[in-house]
Amino acid sequence: MVAKCQVISLCRSLLRAGRKYPDYNIREYTKRRTLDGFRMNGNLTDPSKVIEAYAQGKQQLEVVERVLKVYLAYAYPPKTNHIMELKV
Amino acid sequence: MTSKAVFSTIRRSLTKPRGGAVSRGHHLSTSAATASESYASDEHAILMKGVRISGRPLYLDMQSTTPLDPRVFDAMNASSIYDYGNPHSRTHLYGWEAENAVEVARIQVAKLIGASSKEIVFLSGATEANNTVVKGVMHFYKDKKRHVITTQTEHKCVLDSCRHLQQEGFEVTYLPVKTDGLVDLEMLRESIRPDTGLVSVMAVNNEIGVVQPMEEIGRICKEHKIPFHTDAAQAIGKIPVDVEKWNVSFMSMSGHKIYGPKGVGAMYVRRRPRVRLEPLMNGGGQERGLRSGTLATQQVVGFGVACELAMKEMEYDEKWIKRLQERLLNGVREKLDGVVVNGSLESRYAGNLNLSFAYVEGESLLMGLKEVAVSSGSACTSASLEPSYVLRALGVDEDMAHTSIRFGIGRFTTEEEIDKAVELTVKQVEKLREMSPLYEMVKDGIDIKNIQWSQH
Repeated sequence: MVAKCQVISLCRSLLRAGRKYPDYNIREYTKRRTLDGFRMNGNLTDPSKVIEAYAQGKQQLEVVERVLKVYLAYAYPPKTNHIMELKV
Repeated sequence: MTSKAVFSTIRRSLTKPRGGAVSRGHHLSTSAATASESYASDEHAILMKGVRISGRPLYLDMQSTTPLDPRVFDAMNASSIYDYGNPHSRTHLYGWEAENAVEVARIQVAKLIGASSKEIVFLSGATEANNTVVKGVMHFYKDKKRHVITTQTEHKCVLDSCRHLQQEGFEVTYLPVKTDGLVDLEMLRESIRPDTGLVSVMAVNNEIGVVQPMEEIGRICKEHKIPFHTDAAQAIGKIPVDVEKWNVSFMSMSGHKIYGPKGVGAMYVRRRPRVRLEPLMNGGGQERGLRSGTLATQQVVGFGVACELAMKEMEYDEKWIKRLQERLLNGVREKLDGVVVNGSLESRYAGNLNLSFAYVEGESLLMGLKEVAVSSGSACTSASLEPSYVLRALGVDEDMAHTSIRFGIGRFTTEEEIDKAVELTVKQVEKLREMSPLYEMVKDGIDIKNIQWSQH
């Protein structure tokens, strides 16, 4: 059975990893999808479903962190910001 | 001691990287040479092709292509590194592993459309699939069937293949569409002849986004026992697609429209009742003899993962995209009048919004909207200023066709981007209308169509 603190810690790790993406759209999508995903599964009571959802979340965390390393390794093109990131 | 701590915190706060991104020091050395020519000395502005933009534009062109989803990228990376064997090599482990990867992808694609994995053929994209089906079916049945029915709003590759068939001696009927973009079913019924070999109607139009009545068309084709081909490149993963319900014999799919890699696509060829096809690519008989050539394993794996993701996220994405579309349309309509949506608003895929702005000149509108990456009605079809054939088929006036803008909303678009796009579009249109004498005349109540222009 998955404890509540584990679920919260998983959510927090996903959000923290998502924040580091250099690409604006992927960054925002990771945040939105994580929060919506955890909210949608928030009312699960069946323990097997909870364990399944938690395992899926853990797998997504691995993917996010692995892909982040590649995205950060290539910084092409350099020094250009997305319009949404420009300070008005 | 304390002053050192104070100064270090000040220094850290001043040089904090923007947008939460960690500082990136490494970039490819190959890009350095071109980068120094393209980018201006001002740190953030981009100077390219004579245009100066303050940053990377908002990407609102999801119908031309979509960015690669990180999850798809992850699967493709793993596959590129490890599955390098030729999937058609039967004799060693490398071939078996690659073949397994391709079979998994086949099942993922088949599940998305409700087909069996044996009916999926991988190729290089929807264009190749369309060419193979249109030319292949007619060439196979060329003794008995000489007629093809298609619509005027099809993708260029289908229309061009039909023109090629016409040059070979076949007959093609290009069905006109109603003003909302939908096919007239009575006209379709009337144009069916005993020697009709293929009906080709695309499921979701890439320019105007209307969803054709696929089930009805499938039923008509089933009655008359004619193979039904659909170009579903813009439809899979976005609207529920079922080959049994639509009664489709052939379907073209594309990888890069559903957040997958470019250069891969698939073709669904029905096995029961069997439809025969003459292959376009001859060779070793791979892919059921319909498309010979070694498969690009990592592209196929990427496509499979993209399809699986699309199936899982379809409902979530649809809700989000519908919300953004309403926000965009309401935002623009609140501030501007004379905004026309091209194509039916009810039977439409939410992520494609094609708007025409009255009394505005098209090219200048596009030139002013450089900070939003959108596509227009005229630009993607030809280098000349001829308006798009799709809009012409809808019966849109020339001047409205020129000012059409296609906004493409996708999984990764955010609300702030939509708000910014609305703001930029409204500003540009208002600026142009301010300068337009035609608009002044309309505001004064003069009807433009009834003016007698004097000859000088």
